[in-house]
Amino acid sequence: MTIRKTILAAALAALAGSASANDFPPGSVDYIIPFGPGGESDITARFQQPFFQDLFGEQLVVSYQPGGGGAVGWSQLNGLADDGTKIMGINLPHIVIKPEQGDVGFTTEDIAAVYWFHYTPDAIVVKADSDFQTLQDLIDFAKENPRQVIFSGSGKGTANHLAQVQFDDLADIETTYVAFKGTGAAVTALLGNQVTAEWGYTTVGAAQGDAVRMLAVAMEERHPAFPDVPTFKELGFDMVSGAYRGVAVPNSASEEVRQQVADAIATINADAAFQQQMIDGGFALVDVGYGPDMDAFMAEKAEGYIAAARSAEIID
Amino acid sequence: MFEYIVSALTPLNVMLAVFGVAAGTVIGSIPGLTATMAVAVLVPLTFTMAPDSALILMGAIYTGAIYGGAYAAILLNTPGTPSAIATTFDGFPMAKRGDGDLAVSVACLASVFGGLVGALALLLLAPPLAQAALAFGPVEYFWLAIFGLSLIAALSTGDFLKGMIGACFGLLIAMIGVSETSAEVRFTFGSTVLLGGIETVSALIGLYCIPVLIDLVATPNRHLDAPEQTRGFRLPEAFGMLLRNKFNVLRSSVIGTMVGALPGAGGSIAGLVAYSEARRGNKGEPEYGKGNPGGIIATESANNATVGGGFIPTLVLGIPGTPPDAVILGALLVQGVRTGPALFDQGADIVYTFIFGLLLATILMLPVGLLIGRFAYGAIVRAPKSALVPIVAFMTVIGSFAIRNSVSDIAIMITLGVIGWVAAKRGFSASPIVLGLILGRIAEQGFVQTWTIGDAIGNLWGQFFGRPISMVIIALTLLSFLYPFWPQIKRLVSRSTTDTVIDRDPAPTPAVIRDLAAFVIFGAIALIVISQSAGLNPDAAVFPRTIAIGMLCLVVLSIVKLFLTRHVTELQVEGSRLRMIAVPMLMFGAVALIPVLGFEISALLLGVALVFPSQHDSFTPRGWFYLLLGVIVTILSVTLLFGRVLGVPLP
Repeated sequence: MTIRKTILAAALAALAGSASANDFPPGSVDYIIPFGPGGESDITARFQQPFFQDLFGEQLVVSYQPGGGGAVGWSQLNGLADDGTKIMGINLPHIVIKPEQGDVGFTTEDIAAVYWFHYTPDAIVVKADSDFQTLQDLIDFAKENPRQVIFSGSGKGTANHLAQVQFDDLADIETTYVAFKGTGAAVTALLGNQVTAEWGYTTVGAAQGDAVRMLAVAMEERHPAFPDVPTFKELGFDMVSGAYRGVAVPNSASEEVRQQVADAIATINADAAFQQQMIDGGFALVDVGYGPDMDAFMAEKAEGYIAAARSAEIID
Repeated sequence: MFEYIVSALTPLNVMLAVFGVAAGTVIGSIPGLTATMAVAVLVPLTFTMAPDSALILMGAIYTGAIYGGAYAAILLNTPGTPSAIATTFDGFPMAKRGDGDLAVSVACLASVFGGLVGALALLLLAPPLAQAALAFGPVEYFWLAIFGLSLIAALSTGDFLKGMIGACFGLLIAMIGVSETSAEVRFTFGSTVLLGGIETVSALIGLYCIPVLIDLVATPNRHLDAPEQTRGFRLPEAFGMLLRNKFNVLRSSVIGTMVGALPGAGGSIAGLVAYSEARRGNKGEPEYGKGNPGGIIATESANNATVGGGFIPTLVLGIPGTPPDAVILGALLVQGVRTGPALFDQGADIVYTFIFGLLLATILMLPVGLLIGRFAYGAIVRAPKSALVPIVAFMTVIGSFAIRNSVSDIAIMITLGVIGWVAAKRGFSASPIVLGLILGRIAEQGFVQTWTIGDAIGNLWGQFFGRPISMVIIALTLLSFLYPFWPQIKRLVSRSTTDTVIDRDPAPTPAVIRDLAAFVIFGAIALIVISQSAGLNPDAAVFPRTIAIGMLCLVVLSIVKLFLTRHVTELQVEGSRLRMIAVPMLMFGAVALIPVLGFEISALLLGVALVFPSQHDSFTPRGWFYLLLGVIVTILSVTLLFGRVLGVPLP
């Protein structure tokens, strides 16, 4: 009896041992956000954190490495440990646009993206007491008063800014875009009547509730949390855009590690409770995993963003 | 309401609050360790323990850290957090003359008072204050930053022009890196090291702390005058000072609460604004900047009031007031708390428990803060110089690294330290440079945003000067700028016959040449910026170019003045040059060794090496043994704290 028990225990230990050699995660995982706290990248990482802990029994430690609009973090990504214990948040259009603007210490190809897990669709947001009830109201006003519709938005060369340029083009209007440091500051300017409207994300509609009204969202279909807000497509403007967020590993990481990290993020993304939390927050889930899908997705997005940035005269 | 007090007051929560305040105070007192880092590390606790308890712990750490920043400011002339910049102005002079213990106690009392005002405002006035904060637009932020800069007039009493040039220099180095408003890469000269800009906290450490270290090793004089016997907390004296400053502490707490409620402004601006207002109201002796406790009271009550104030927009609008607020907001969102105006009406339990926890932590800060303060004072005063210098130098290295895990930030920190030391000897004190650096980015954003809006609506002047709140801030700024010159102005107006030109002996020619060289260097920097700006897009170029042109004018003015008056403001360099040079050289050496030997070994080598230049007395072998042991043990334990507890990835 005792002998059998011992053998069993030994066998189990051997199994566990061999399994742990390529198990994910190898320990607690550092999840570096190359921005300060409070933005969309931070909030969604925080949403993932408890699910990761429940699933894997290991800590997902979120830390911040802000600077240079993400460039400080991304330029150091490939120097980190590549065993799956270090992952970093990545953003589109940032990782495509930044390297086009000059030497920022990394190129788009340097970044080993393994998963894109959500995006925040662009949206035009006005205050609840604004005269603009519909998108058409805003367009009509803008046609009669060039440059007098003043948008706040998060940063230059960002999803918000590219959306403004693209929409001005599609609707044949001329508006003014004022860059603020992050969505928080852009929303503050909107709520304080410093600007006419905001080029923000659907998340602004979720966070501000009745205080604001979204005129249209840049999605294929309406956002489940906002069934009454039309898409730009419905209104005749072919615009699906926003900021995508994902996870990358150092580019020296093995195929196995890349796949494991991608699988971990995918598992969290498939959790119904996580999905509900994201949707309530105004986020839109996507699942672009590691592999050929990723390459095609990146190629398509890069082309679109670079074209938009050229017409916005952010890059030459 | 009562049930929230009860749920905040469970034994576990009280214990957590005590621990949090203590840990926060220690974290805040170490330059480079920030409340943001500590709070971020604790977020996962909200998943495993009761969320309200975890939130109380985070709030306690945050509030403790803001107070702890005062220790390093008072005892080492280095703000532990940016919020404590203005604490150095009077705190360090007080410590120098032997009143460090009193200064620490005064700081504690003022912090508790300010913290309570801020937390009560959060409890009772949050929704209306959040609405009021929204009236602050880009142009108001711009003028607020300029108001903060107006302190330069007071901080550079020796030579106003030099103070202004220093501030321009600070503003310009704040522009390095990727521009916030135009996403363009500026003034990096092709270096990816400068891409992320000059990190504010590491710059603070360099500009304030390195000069202190260099001067420390030069002479055998004690760092701070030590009292003959221990004098306890000197609480009655401290209370008396607070009472004499009752209007000051109240006004500063209100300023702190209001500025805290402005998203993105933060504790450093609150402290500077409160200091500026207090200084103008002061009639007593000594002057502000020469060790008047009123300066500490103003800054410390204001910066702790920003803790409660900062939660106002965080909880009411869902827009974080400061980075630690942002982390706590994230933790609340994960808990499913939806922030917004409805939060206070519907009374989400967790939020009220949190606010009462914050009040509790603030009250507990009184005993905890006094005790730790006394310990910190004793440690710094009694430590032999040859232990103090290596340990503080090591702290500057690990602190500037930890902010964003960057070795190049350490090198930038030391470089700025050397620049700061040389500049200070030439009469360009560090504070105007720091003010420029801290306020530069806020000023630029506000400026470019106002410019864009004003240009679009075709009313640039109206945007900049025509808005009511702006006009009030502009008026206050003018007052603040002109106040130090009031005696001269009064004499001019009353047409008194007394000569307004201060009669001083003309400086010797070498001093004039040294000053001229300094002006030429600053002039060259301005010219480089102007020429570099030509290649940038207008949004990225307008602010730095404007500042650089202003700086160039100031430089020309200074040179003219130098030739006309031959008056030179400079500080004497005392003591051993060799020892002085050894400090930055050894530090640079250690940084160079980090990639080769790793962080721990390089830090230990630095610590041991720095014992020698700072060693003036002769020691017995036994003394040497304990000294080296103390330095090594301290360095190793701090490294462990950073690496293991706070999860800083040391190379």
